[in-house]
Amino acid sequence: MHTIIRTEHLKFSYGKKQVLNDINLTVNAGEIIGLIGVNGAGKTTLLNILLGLLKGEGAVSVFEQQPGSAISKARIGSMLQGDMVVPGITIADLLKLAAAEGNHPLATNKLLKDLRLEPFKTQRLGSLSGGQLRRVTFAVALINQPDLLFLDEPTVGMDANSRKAFWDNIEQLRQEGKTIVITSHYLEEIQQIADRLLILQKGRFTFDGSLQQLQKQHLGATITFETDLQLPIFNGLPAVDRVDHLKHKLVIHSTDGDQTLRALTPLLDRLHQVSVNRESLEDIFLQLTQQEAN
Amino acid sequence: MKTFLAQLAFDSKRLVVRNVSFIFFSIIMPAGFYLLFTKIMVSGSAAEIKQFNLTYMGQMIVYSVLIEAFFSIASILRRDREKGLTTFLRLSPHGTLPYYTSITFWMLMMSLLSVVVLGGIAVGVNGVRLEITQWLGLIVVVLIGQLPLLMIGIALSHIHREEMLSLASNLLTFPMALVSGLWWPISMLPSWLQAIGKLMPTYFVNNLLNELTSRAKVDLTNLIGIAVWVLLAGLVVVAMTRNEQRRGVALGEA
Repeated sequence: MHTIIRTEHLKFSYGKKQVLNDINLTVNAGEIIGLIGVNGAGKTTLLNILLGLLKGEGAVSVFEQQPGSAISKARIGSMLQGDMVVPGITIADLLKLAAAEGNHPLATNKLLKDLRLEPFKTQRLGSLSGGQLRRVTFAVALINQPDLLFLDEPTVGMDANSRKAFWDNIEQLRQEGKTIVITSHYLEEIQQIADRLLILQKGRFTFDGSLQQLQKQHLGATITFETDLQLPIFNGLPAVDRVDHLKHKLVIHSTDGDQTLRALTPLLDRLHQVSVNRESLEDIFLQLTQQEAN
Repeated sequence: MKTFLAQLAFDSKRLVVRNVSFIFFSIIMPAGFYLLFTKIMVSGSAAEIKQFNLTYMGQMIVYSVLIEAFFSIASILRRDREKGLTTFLRLSPHGTLPYYTSITFWMLMMSLLSVVVLGGIAVGVNGVRLEITQWLGLIVVVLIGQLPLLMIGIALSHIHREEMLSLASNLLTFPMALVSGLWWPISMLPSWLQAIGKLMPTYFVNNLLNELTSRAKVDLTNLIGIAVWVLLAGLVVVAMTRNEQRRGVALGEA
């Protein structure tokens, strides 16, 4: 498989503050990577190094080039945090400037239509909402048909419809074989789209793999049912962390779903409408970050 | 070339056509001052008025360029960094060279526009007459003379807070205009203030314009003064840029 990004023993510090420490990473063509971590974990710093905006210690290559080389720049589209609200400039003006940077830009009108921006194309950037500006930034990232996309908090400020449309676009880019690195605090969205998750904690990757692999390491589950039995009975079952009332249902939070389910078996005839949910990425992430804080 | 032309078109809209503050402060205000002091608040003999119409045109052209560099350019460059435009261009295959070339080009065009507007008023309203070689010389002096002001404007753009930049621009522009004799003759100032005024880049540029329009011998000290200012301000800009890049501040908000 063709390697797009490679880092070996990458380190970076702002003065005395170590932000990235011994980062080893390989990203192959066509992968969609979800890069997650708490604020200040080093996600944006890592993206900036891969883009050539910052220089770290260690080996880094993007498209087998130094980050920031003209060749790699021509193949990368970036949607960084913050939008370019340039006074006196319309969406069409900005896209025209961006399109002039590439050799085979997409047709501006089609791109605007796909991103539902066509009605605003002659509007000044300063008059757009936060979500519309985010879509403009996405359009700028896409216009030169990049092979690799860096998306840093891409859906901040977007309403539910725009977010759904955005992730549909990402799905389409996946079909086209694009490689995408996304950071986002909306973990349920990352969970849906990413092939591979990278969890960055204190400047290191503490997990690198798929959601299924992550869930295997974290056996927690939520078991929900209706019952005529009293709540304290369930508190004493193995691996039960907490039991809550949710309207007329009980919700068991277990640290080991399999173990708790086995213990529930003798009571099954008294339980109705049982559902078992494995821990979401967000649940696991919260546990990991709480452990880190402790 | 395609990238540069696109950058030129992009900047023409935001820097000139849709930039109300540039039109007002750099063109209308100096033109208004010129009309006010040459048509309404007039005193002296006919010969003195004729001479004043000419010298005050030069002074207002320099004032216009000064406002443009210390307010417009400083603020535009700072805002471009803050809004992520500079970062976006750094990440593009052609880098920031077309951007800086385009900004410089439009700065020159804005200065030429000042010359055209103020020169047009001087000729059309006040009957000022210069030979074509003098007009061309005037344009050359304005273009060269704006370089140190541009450098100072670029240095100012590294001030991160908007209100601080505005304060610094005001604190530099108006005292510099005053002490270098752009508003009234430098001979009216106390001698200690004259000594300071005669070191200002605007004084050197204004002197050169006066020498040119009055056909006096060009004093090389003025050119040397401009060159020294370009050098000093250039060193400050390089030092500030390197310092920011080292600290990673140049990334702006992106």
